[in-house]
Amino acid sequence: MSLLKVDKINKSFGTLQVLHDVSLEVQPGERHVIIGPNGAGKTTLFNSITNHLPITSGTVYFEGKDITNLPAHRLVHLGMARTFQKNNLFGDLTVEENIHLALTAKKKYRHDIWFSLTSRSDIKKETNQILEEWKITHRRDVKINNLSYGEQRLLEVLLAMASKPKLLLLDEPTSGMSPAETTQTSEMIQRLPRSMALVVIEHDMDVVFAIADRITVLHHGEPILTGTPEEVRNSEMVKEIYFGGGAKKHA
Amino acid sequence: MKKNILYAVLLLLVVFAVPQILSDFGTNLTTEIFIMAMFAMSLGLIMGYAGLDSLGHAAFFGIGAYSVALIGKFVTNTYLIIIIAVAIAGLIAFITGAVFIRTSKFYFLMITLAFSQLIFTLLWQMKDLTGGADGMSVSAIMNLGFGDIFDPQTMYYVMGIIFVAVFILLRLFVESPAGKITKGVMENEGRMAALGYDVRVYKLLAFTLSGALAGFAGSLYSFYNVFVSPELSAWLFSGQVMIMVIVGGVGTLLGPAIGAGVFIFLQNFISTYTERWPLILGAILIFLVLIGKGGIIQWLKLGVTMIFKSRPKNNKVSSTIQPEKEEIIS
Repeated sequence: MSLLKVDKINKSFGTLQVLHDVSLEVQPGERHVIIGPNGAGKTTLFNSITNHLPITSGTVYFEGKDITNLPAHRLVHLGMARTFQKNNLFGDLTVEENIHLALTAKKKYRHDIWFSLTSRSDIKKETNQILEEWKITHRRDVKINNLSYGEQRLLEVLLAMASKPKLLLLDEPTSGMSPAETTQTSEMIQRLPRSMALVVIEHDMDVVFAIADRITVLHHGEPILTGTPEEVRNSEMVKEIYFGGGAKKHA
Repeated sequence: MKKNILYAVLLLLVVFAVPQILSDFGTNLTTEIFIMAMFAMSLGLIMGYAGLDSLGHAAFFGIGAYSVALIGKFVTNTYLIIIIAVAIAGLIAFITGAVFIRTSKFYFLMITLAFSQLIFTLLWQMKDLTGGADGMSVSAIMNLGFGDIFDPQTMYYVMGIIFVAVFILLRLFVESPAGKITKGVMENEGRMAALGYDVRVYKLLAFTLSGALAGFAGSLYSFYNVFVSPELSAWLFSGQVMIMVIVGGVGTLLGPAIGAGVFIFLQNFISTYTERWPLILGAILIFLVLIGKGGIIQWLKLGVTMIFKSRPKNNKVSSTIQPEKEEIIS
């Protein structure tokens, strides 16, 4: 059974149809990259999967369960997490506090109104683990707003990963990064454990081919090709979309 | 935890020092300040930690106060009266909050205002029960198990100690998982949902706790003032408590309490000189709000840093040293 199955979803904003019959399947542990020109509907597809936007028609299955109408917060408890294209963090809180918030989401004591959060040993331990693993221990007391853009981007992924999801959706993890930061992020994504499947929206082709097991090409809201990196690299259609006649209607 | 004990000790010292320094009138006024401080902290909790700016919080204060006045006719046990009053206020906060938190910002302001006017009108119109515009006197007498409390001195200590206890309880809430999560929801609701939190649960929790605490303050006021009137739920009072919170400092717990102290002190101090005291009070408040971003508590904090840290520049540069300091404190 596939981990995520998107079955013929459609999404319209008024008369503008952004997604046409998009179907997609992701296997456990798979690295699936979604590419496509600007305005192809990639982020809308993410928002439809995680129900940040209600879809017009179609069904989304996670581990065989219909999750189409589940509110976003329920998905995390099923094992699905996402990041955002624009950094979506708690700017006035420190790195440590951000990680605390992310970790507490799955704790039983998240409704506790009595005993201090920061003095709990499990949260201390897990926070230290994350800080050490990603070598940001020295930044733990810095407010997010005072971090560099690249560091904020990293936090964006770390927060989503804190719930140890089976499926992680990464929305343009390298957007706005310097080449050096992009390489780092690409390496970081490759380091992520295989117990977690990834669906990644990405523009940088070096990153795409470095991480992808399979690639889906989205164009004008339609998935025109899904295949291995080799197949996509050699596809005449993809070349045409990216290098010429992008506006031209394809066959 | 150690910090909470420190706070408790310091505040209790203040509570016990005031009667030694101030006159009987001043002490009695401080009793009222303690009650208003609890009310202001209840509003400060949702304004500063949940991002819910209520312009109708006096509704819950009035509900608490009238509950004591009404229940006091039939029940004599003070604890029981207060528990029932707080439960009523909390329950009403829970039910109304479930609707209110679906709105935000101005709409939240308006719907809470409308609700408090509704309560005000009910208290005003239900003449047989509440005495209408004339108000009603409170027959219940506070008795915490060591005799009836009549004299202002005892009343002062009781309110002072309750205030300190409420402050510590609120600190515990703010530091608890639910408290931290509520603050996170205020900062970034969308991300909290994406992290797996049902954000409405936490908003409703904060609103209910806040309403119950406002009701608690109202019930204490009933015992203190032995008279209640519909004005306790009027929008003017809601506005005043909001001013206390803003002047004292939104986003802190002690801030609103200090705001309440300053407000009531100024109100009483100026009114001894002129009948036009709201005019002068208004001017002072405009001044305080304009120059005091973050409220009085920020000035106090600034003062404390200037006294205890001769070179404040240092702690920004050496961010690596800070974790060690933190560990020592906690």
